[in-house]
Amino acid sequence: MTTFFKNTRPKDHLLGRICWLIRLRWLAIVGVFSVTYLLSNVFHGRLSLDFAALYGIAGILLFYNAGLYFTLSTLRKKKFSIPIPWVNRLANIQISLDLTCLAFLIHFSGGIENPFIFYFIFHMIIASILLSRRAAFSQATYTVVLFFTLVLLEYFGILHHYCLKAFFSFDLNGSHFYMAGKSFVFVSTLYITVYLATSISAQLRAREQSLEEANSLLREKDHIKSEYVLRVTHDIRQDLAAIQSCIEPVTLGITGPLSSPQHDLLRRAIERSKQLIVYVDALLDMTTLKLTQSLKMELFSFTELIREITSQISELARSKNLTFEVRAEASSLMVRGVKVYLEEALVNLLKNSVKYTLPGGKVSLGVNALADRVSIRIDDTGIGIPEDDLPHIFEEFYRAGNAKGLERKGTGLGLSIAKQIVEMHQGKIEVISVLGKGTTFYLELPLAAPPLAS
Amino acid sequence: MAKILIIDDDPDIVESMRVVLESNGYSVSSASCGEEGLKLTRKEEPNLVILDVMLPNGMDGFEVARRIKGDSRTNKTPILMLTAIKEKTGLDFRNEMGDGGRIPADDYCAKPLDHEALLRKIKKFVGPA
Repeated sequence: MTTFFKNTRPKDHLLGRICWLIRLRWLAIVGVFSVTYLLSNVFHGRLSLDFAALYGIAGILLFYNAGLYFTLSTLRKKKFSIPIPWVNRLANIQISLDLTCLAFLIHFSGGIENPFIFYFIFHMIIASILLSRRAAFSQATYTVVLFFTLVLLEYFGILHHYCLKAFFSFDLNGSHFYMAGKSFVFVSTLYITVYLATSISAQLRAREQSLEEANSLLREKDHIKSEYVLRVTHDIRQDLAAIQSCIEPVTLGITGPLSSPQHDLLRRAIERSKQLIVYVDALLDMTTLKLTQSLKMELFSFTELIREITSQISELARSKNLTFEVRAEASSLMVRGVKVYLEEALVNLLKNSVKYTLPGGKVSLGVNALADRVSIRIDDTGIGIPEDDLPHIFEEFYRAGNAKGLERKGTGLGLSIAKQIVEMHQGKIEVISVLGKGTTFYLELPLAAPPLAS
Repeated sequence: MAKILIIDDDPDIVESMRVVLESNGYSVSSASCGEEGLKLTRKEEPNLVILDVMLPNGMDGFEVARRIKGDSRTNKTPILMLTAIKEKTGLDFRNEMGDGGRIPADDYCAKPLDHEALLRKIKKFVGPA
C-alpha cells in the first residue's frame, strides 16, 4: 500500500478517495431505499421478503455514512491530519463493512437467487482502486467467505431462505447444478475483476510515479542551471566592478588632465558598464531568490521602512519633475520578513512607476493597516500597460511594448522579482492599468502583530 | 602621512584605489587575503583598514573585522567595508554598522566604487592626508 502513496501529497490523495467512497455510498443508500420501496409497493403480496430488515440495513448504512462524513469534515475543518496508516485502515474497514452490509441485504432479498449478488463486483473495483493489491485480494476472499457462509447456512436451513418465487420458479434444494455453476462464476468473476482492476491501477500508479520522478529531475536540473547562472553573473559583476573602478579615477582627472573627447568616451564607457551592472544585479537577485528555500525572517518596523523608501523615491521623483505623495498609516506597523528584500520589492515597483510616468505626472504610495495585514497601493499617472501585456508583466524578462518604446533600458526583471519577494512573505500583488492613464499596484503583506496606535 | 591598508584580493580594484588614494596624499599598503591583512594591521598600525567582504582562503571580511576589533592592539583602527550589496548576506548594511550593529565595521562603501564617495568617507575617519 505504501508504494502508491509515495508521491508528494499522499494524504490528500488518500483522504480524497475516502471522500469519494463516502459520496458513492450516499448513492448506494438512495438505491437500496428506492429498490426496497419499489419492491414492497409494486410487487406487494407477490414477494415475501423481510422489508423491515432491508430498511434496517439501509438505515444502518445511512447512519454510518453520516457519522463518517461529519467526523471527516470536522477533522478537516480543524486541520487535523490523520496518519497515513490510519487512513489506510479506515479504507479497509469501510470496504469490509460495506461487503457485510451487502451480504445481509442479499440474504434478506433472496440469497443466491438475487441477481443483485453481482453488485459485489463494484466493491471489488473500489477495493482495487483504494487498497493495495494484497488487501484487494483479501477483500475478495472475505466476499467469497461471506457468500459461501450465506449460501450454506441457507441451504442447510440454519438461516431462512427468502424465495423469489414471484420472479423465478426456483427451488434452492433442487438445483445443485445451478448453485454450483453460479457459485463458480461468481467467485471467478470476483478474483478476475480484482486482478484486472489492480493491474490497471498498478500501471497508473507506476506512471504517476515516473512522472513524479521526471518532475523532480527537472527541478533538480533547473536548480543546477540557477546555480550556474548565479556563479557566472557573480563573476561578471566582479569584472565589471573592476573595470569601472579602474576607469573612474581617470575620468576624475586624478591621472592627469583629459581632453574633452577623451573624457566623453570614458564617460560613455562607464555609463554602459553601469547599465550592465544594473542588469547583472537584477539577474543575481532573481537567481538568488530562486535558490532560496526559506527566508531568515526577522521582526522589523514596516513604518520605518516606508519612511526610508519615501526619502529615496522623493529624490528620484523630484529629479524627474514628478509629484510623489505618501499617505501612510499613522500607527506603527510590524512585519516579519527580510527587510532588504521587501525594500527591494517596493522600490522596484515605485521606481517602475517613476520611470513610466512623464514629467509633470504624479506617483503616490498609500499604506493602510487592516486587521492582520497591511495593504499597500502604488498609483501613477503614467503611460499605463496595454491590455495584452497586462497578464504577462510579472513574467521574467517581459517588457510591455510601450515601455520599451519609452525607455530602451530595462531588464524586465524588476516586477518579477517584486512578485517573488512578496509571495515569499505570504503576501500578494495585483495590478490594474488603463493605457495612457496610469497603473495601480496593490500589495498585501501579513502583519506580525495588530497595528499599534502611536 | 595617514596610512591606509587595503585588504582585497582583486588586484585591479586595489590598484585603482591606490592611484586615487596616493594622489590624495595617503600612504597605501595592501593585502590580498585575511591572514596577511591581519598581520599587516598589527605590523603597520594603519590609520584605516579598507576591507573587502569576499576574501579567499576561508576567512571572509566579517571574520577579519571581528579579529581586528577583538585584538586589543588593533581594536582602535577604524574599518571601512567594501561590499557588493548584492552579495545578499541578509544583512542591512546601512543599519548594521558600528556599535550595536551585527557587522563589526565602522562604515561601508558599495562596489563598484564611487571614488569620490570613498574619499569623503576616508576623510571622515582619518582627516585629509
